Amino acid sequence: MKIDPKDFIQDYHLNLCIQCGTCTGGCPVKFRSPLNMRRLVRETSFTAIPASVFKRPELWACTTCSTCSLRCPAGVKNVELIMGIRNFLANQGEVPSTIRDALENTLLQGNPWGRFRDRRADWAKDLGVKILGEATTETLLYVGCAPSYDPRVQNVSTALVKIFQKADLDFAILGKKESCCGNEIKRMGEQALFKKLSKDNTNLFKKSGIKRIITISPHCFNAFKNEYSDLAIPVQHYTQVIADLIETGKLKMSKTLDIPVTYQDPCFLGKQNLVFDEPRKILTSIPGLEFAEMERSKQRSLCCEGGGGRMWAEGGTEGTRNGEIRIKEAVGLGAKVMATACPFCLLTLEDAAKTSGLTDQIAVKDISELVSETID
Amino acid sequence: MGEIFVLVEHRQGKIRDITLEMLEAGEKLASQQGTSSTAVLLGHHVKTFADELASRVSKILVVEDAQLEHFNSLLYQKVLSSLITKYQPSLTLIGHTAFGMDLAPSLSGEIGSPLVTDCIGLSFEGSRLKAVRSIYGGKINASISLRESKSYIATVRPGVFSPAVPAVPGDKKAGMVMESSSLQGTIDIKKFLEYIEAPLTGEDITQAQIIVSVGQGIGGPEHIPMIEEVAKSLGGVVACSRPVVDRNWLPKERQVGISGKTVKPKVYIAIGISGAFQHVTAMQGSETIIAINKDPRAPIFAVADYGIVDDFQNVIPILKEKTKGMK
Amino acid sequence: MNIAVCVKRIPKTAEADIFIEKDGTDIKKDHLIFTLNDWDGYAVREAALLKEKYGGEVTVITVGPEESKEVLTRCLAMGADRALRIEEPTAQDGHLIARILAQAIKNQSFDLILTGVQAEDDNGGQVGVELAQMLGLPHAAIVTHIEMTGDKAKVRRELEGGIDEVIELKLPAVLTIQTGINEPKYVSLAAILEAEDKEIKEVGMEEIGIASGEPVDTKIDQVFFPPVGKTAEILKGNPEEVVTQLTEILKKKKG
Repeated sequence: MKIDPKDFIQDYHLNLCIQCGTCTGGCPVKFRSPLNMRRLVRETSFTAIPASVFKRPELWACTTCSTCSLRCPAGVKNVELIMGIRNFLANQGEVPSTIRDALENTLLQGNPWGRFRDRRADWAKDLGVKILGEATTETLLYVGCAPSYDPRVQNVSTALVKIFQKADLDFAILGKKESCCGNEIKRMGEQALFKKLSKDNTNLFKKSGIKRIITISPHCFNAFKNEYSDLAIPVQHYTQVIADLIETGKLKMSKTLDIPVTYQDPCFLGKQNLVFDEPRKILTSIPGLEFAEMERSKQRSLCCEGGGGRMWAEGGTEGTRNGEIRIKEAVGLGAKVMATACPFCLLTLEDAAKTSGLTDQIAVKDISELVSETID
Repeated sequence: MGEIFVLVEHRQGKIRDITLEMLEAGEKLASQQGTSSTAVLLGHHVKTFADELASRVSKILVVEDAQLEHFNSLLYQKVLSSLITKYQPSLTLIGHTAFGMDLAPSLSGEIGSPLVTDCIGLSFEGSRLKAVRSIYGGKINASISLRESKSYIATVRPGVFSPAVPAVPGDKKAGMVMESSSLQGTIDIKKFLEYIEAPLTGEDITQAQIIVSVGQGIGGPEHIPMIEEVAKSLGGVVACSRPVVDRNWLPKERQVGISGKTVKPKVYIAIGISGAFQHVTAMQGSETIIAINKDPRAPIFAVADYGIVDDFQNVIPILKEKTKGMK
Repeated sequence: MNIAVCVKRIPKTAEADIFIEKDGTDIKKDHLIFTLNDWDGYAVREAALLKEKYGGEVTVITVGPEESKEVLTRCLAMGADRALRIEEPTAQDGHLIARILAQAIKNQSFDLILTGVQAEDDNGGQVGVELAQMLGLPHAAIVTHIEMTGDKAKVRRELEGGIDEVIELKLPAVLTIQTGINEPKYVSLAAILEAEDKEIKEVGMEEIGIASGEPVDTKIDQVFFPPVGKTAEILKGNPEEVVTQLTEILKKKKG
């Protein structure tokens, strides 16, 4: 499938652009990199050799938070243009070397870190978790790559298992049959690999007879809900499930957590998929917890810079990371815990707390970890 | 049974250690088989080598020729194959080194003697050669038997056999036999031109007393700053295994390995390094080796003094905190 | 210039659990992930780069089972023009593989023949150099740099301790390629899917003139786990406890 950049004008509605600059104005990496969405749209539209515009390291700085597309008053598909350019580059093999490794690893081992496929469910082996294929269920807990393999995020997976078991929620995981959802793969430009993952995963889900999917990561949530065209199975993010369990009295939180907490809306859960209330419902239901809202919250939440392949490449960004800005804002609010609902937010914000030297003032925890602490 | 040839490997005026290891292995095999071992020395102005070897072996075959000064597989092969034809050794030992890997397989092809490479064990069953090899990245060993043959070639892994110790002065010294090279004219389809030494830029890891080394198991270059902090707190330097250099996560001068540097620090911490022999052989002389690897069967644990079986991401951040200001 | 690259499909064993087959002659491979041998990947890329510079064609050849075709497809996506699969013999070793490749290559005219230094599974390091001998061509093993000068190739061979040897060879020649010689380029799935349409020639051994049941020089009698000699003292406890122990050890040993 040869991609012709001259089609980008039509494919991404670049001709609608009025050059207002709202896209660049809302871009979370504009202070950290030369990436300028408004100018990119113009250059792509008017250059005789589109390929000359694309070979810039800053194109890999984009986190695909989608603020640009969401705010564009004219209907230009900004972030989709970036993904299209990356697809054009990837098909020619022109991606940063760490992105190359992430993509090749995913094709070979089903996860961008190249960890051995058979080890994917090792984290769950002593937790009494049902594996689809050995047992049947209606609800699939789709774990995801980071929650399966990253030691820090495995705590989130373990916490969720504990919560679901406590609430008597019947579920199973795919175990070593689980492969990457492909959300980041698509955003790094590998549309063909995304198509393959989407097709294989859809078949796997359909064959297993499950009626509902719960995801840990908002990225997987986004892929299944919005980009898996053949998947006719309802998908929920785990915060929606826990909020419901609390609402219907199936989950009792008995221990008190007397801490001031704030919350980072993940881009793929919040601004892109409009799930704002459920995480807040959970946090405000925790006995003793004082919830404080960040100034830039909900749709205005500042991207942590974990999405769009940024877990594997920096795209030439420089200066203070957004994560450090968010941590400092949270500390300024008087929060002792920064709550997250996304594995990438968790990792980038926790790193930021360390590099800012603020780990004695604030901890970064996933909502599932907080809930798990209250249900003993 | 024919004698056992040991091909002397030398470079830039020095006999390489593998030679001494093979002399010891060859001598042991020879006495088991009721035969003798012979060092085979090809080169130019090699008398000093001959003298050095004289106390470690009973016989030395020397071929002196200006064309043999620097290793050239075509020339060495020509000379060696005529020596093998003349003397009919039952086994020729060559190092499994850059030298041996360039020579042994083509020599085997020329004289039709079966070859087994990279041996960590050798023995005869009757007149049949058997070997032990390390495969699948060091996770598995294999016992090999070769087909019946009057003459074998085996390349020997460096650092496995103990080197031959010089005999006590006064002991019987080796008999030297001079052979002519039978090289006529020059061969120009393969020419040695020169050696190039890697320039010493940046850190010289061979001088460090504490080394914190990373392998491809760390998954990506983004973790290196954290490792550097740990190294700094301990008063040491960061090094790495070969795959890290291949991926451009660290420069070549940081590489510990056969094709990099050999180090002998007080403390060597290996993070995400599997323990392939090409790496281990270059750091096993360290006083204390600590390995951190999530694979409990990684070969590194066989050479380490202390081990942590865990993902380094679980351990290093805590270590970073605990070692702050330790220096 | 016309280049041939000999490649191998191998299982990845890092982080994998290894089990030995009942008859003890090999490990179980059903659960392992197979891919192109790392060294051969660098060789194919190097051939593609030489083709970009000097023109010509790249042919990849493998001796392997039906499944090896996926590795050839990948090579075609990497820039190879032709692909040949030779059915593998039931019993094989480096010597026999070299013989088979020599038979397949000897009647074609290649300027350069590349192989990887060794394969990740058996770490033999034998095929490339023995193949050169059988073809009557000069060779250089463990090559980290290639410079073409007319009908000659000036190459760097990687020696021990950071030293390289510079060798000049008259073409045609055989080179075994070391990792790190070039920067591997990403091979997109789209490129692989496109390459799947390209023809892969397949031949049996008899067609190239090797009898089936040809004897081998070396045979694996048994595989086993390396003997557990002195092993590391494994520090026990949760990460906090383990690091505390480690810190004590470091304090003592660093002097």
